Amino acid sequence: MTSLGDRTLGLGLLVLAVAYGWAAQQWPEPFGGAEGVGPETFPTILSVVLVAGSLYLMIKPDPDAQWPMGKSALELLISVVVLVVYAFLLEPLGFIVSTTLAVGVLSWRMGAAPKRAFITGLVSAVVVFVLFNYGLSLSLPAGLLEVH
Amino acid sequence: METLGFLMDGFAVAFTPYNLMFALFGAFVGTLIGCLPGLGPANGVAILIPLAFTLGLPPETAMILLTAVYAGAMYGGRISSILLNIPGDEPAMMTCLDGYPMARNGRAADALAASAIASFAGSLIGTIGLIMLAPILAKFALTFGPAEYFALFLLAFATLGGITGKNPMKTVIAATLGIMISTVGIDISTGTQRYTFGVLELYEGIDFILAIVGLFAISELLFFVEHRMGGGRDKMTVGKLTLTAKEVISTLPTQVRGGVLGFIAGVLPGAGASLGSFISYTLEKQVIGKKGKFGEGDIRGVAAPEAGNNGASSGALVPMLTLGVPGSGTTAVLLAMLISLNITPGPLMFTQNADIVWGVIAALLIGNVLLLVLNIPLVGFFVKLLSVPPMFLLPIVTMVAFVGIYSISHSTFDLYFMVAFGVAGYFLRKLEIPLVPIILGLLLGPEMEKNLGHALVLSDGDWSILWSSSLSIGLWVVAGLGLLLPYIVGPILRRRMHAAMKETPVSD
Repeated sequence: MTSLGDRTLGLGLLVLAVAYGWAAQQWPEPFGGAEGVGPETFPTILSVVLVAGSLYLMIKPDPDAQWPMGKSALELLISVVVLVVYAFLLEPLGFIVSTTLAVGVLSWRMGAAPKRAFITGLVSAVVVFVLFNYGLSLSLPAGLLEVH
Repeated sequence: METLGFLMDGFAVAFTPYNLMFALFGAFVGTLIGCLPGLGPANGVAILIPLAFTLGLPPETAMILLTAVYAGAMYGGRISSILLNIPGDEPAMMTCLDGYPMARNGRAADALAASAIASFAGSLIGTIGLIMLAPILAKFALTFGPAEYFALFLLAFATLGGITGKNPMKTVIAATLGIMISTVGIDISTGTQRYTFGVLELYEGIDFILAIVGLFAISELLFFVEHRMGGGRDKMTVGKLTLTAKEVISTLPTQVRGGVLGFIAGVLPGAGASLGSFISYTLEKQVIGKKGKFGEGDIRGVAAPEAGNNGASSGALVPMLTLGVPGSGTTAVLLAMLISLNITPGPLMFTQNADIVWGVIAALLIGNVLLLVLNIPLVGFFVKLLSVPPMFLLPIVTMVAFVGIYSISHSTFDLYFMVAFGVAGYFLRKLEIPLVPIILGLLLGPEMEKNLGHALVLSDGDWSILWSSSLSIGLWVVAGLGLLLPYIVGPILRRRMHAAMKETPVSD
């Protein structure tokens, strides 16, 4: 068992903590002079706590978790890409089209048959769209399907 | 007797048809959320927050909805414990021990009904406890100054990992990260821009709702993808109800003991519902002794943990409502709702927002009755939904999360942020950094800084004010214990809980 995960995390957090603490010292003194607590006091404390925590992690790391390799890692990456693309296409393509694609791809990748996956996507997209736009009168983007 | 008057006012709020409808809807959705594996109560409530928000519900209705979901989720957790031997959420773990054997003996329907009744009794006891204890605690909390509050927040973080938590240092790190995220944006007291990097969207700080939804919902999806748990489960049959009134009555003492113990565990910092159901089960085993058939499908072994975890879930509302300091993940999410409704949580809520507090408490009572009524006849329906495979369910849940976040601000920037939080949540969970302290840090960070500032202004910059009163010293000591105890008692308790799980006849 290695403990690379915790060590790497510890190192990352240490860098974050130092950068966070350093940035806090750069702010100009607020108008009206320094009081007991300035804007930098609390962040400075936090940075010290996180430095201590990250050092502890590096010195006494827990054993590593099982990290996904190969195919699982690829599937994970695909899922994240789908989510980002979904957010990106939501407005240009409209809610129904983009949701059908996103839900379809996700459930297909999780093991559903492609046809059933996309039908699930389409049905859920239409139901939510109708519910939101007409039932709750909250507008979701219609995009391509917009009636001019 | 003044409490009773307030409670009556609360009932007047909760009994309006509009609120009653939302309580019913919440109870239903909550049960659903609870029984679906992979959709815990904290997760489910988090996804509903943006919806409650965009629907423009009045504060008391929004809170009633979410509290009903919370109570419902606690009920629902038992269904998959009993039928599948997979706890729907963590506190339902102990219900597997006798519930699953009962189902194997062909008494699934009885186990479900008995546990529903026990859940009801546990919740009822917990809610009565809440009604009696909360006003007293709130009155006491009014004497807290800023220094005491600062210490109290520390205590909340220190004990959040729970006595059974694995690595308290990771809780500290998580909490610090959460508070750090909360410092992004324009400082309220001085107007200094902090960590905004000139990005306009960051000026108002990072919206904790999208952080919560991202951390919980998106990371859950990623976990399912990784473990390829998308497939369905076997069909389950529930069978006929053969439970007799005599049997129900025979479990009454068990229910009362379980409910009371659970409530105490819920109120205490660092204990929580899981420990509540564990203690109730173990105590019951001790009390009944050799006369019971625990582990082989004893009905009392189903009633005790269910009464315990539902008692605890009401108990956990006590510190959340009175001090503004939640002790569990789900109550932290409920607190997020309160804050986004512009209600300052804490003892003043009992005077300034009495209608909300008492409305919620009354709704909890009504919700429980609704849940009992819902759960016994509709159990077959929930069981059917349980066989909907996650490969269809989780993408839809994710989509609902997207819709919720999008409809708050109509900005895709927030969606990217949410996905980023989801990915971060996945890595953090992999590294066993708990997510709940991050959320709590996000929520309590600003209050913590404000109280620190007030305390130091009062003392003219003398830091010793933070530990000058006996009350604050006491809080500091408990906080310290909260961090130390897991190292000392934790391994023993964990081993016991583990051993109790091992004893079950699941291997055959």
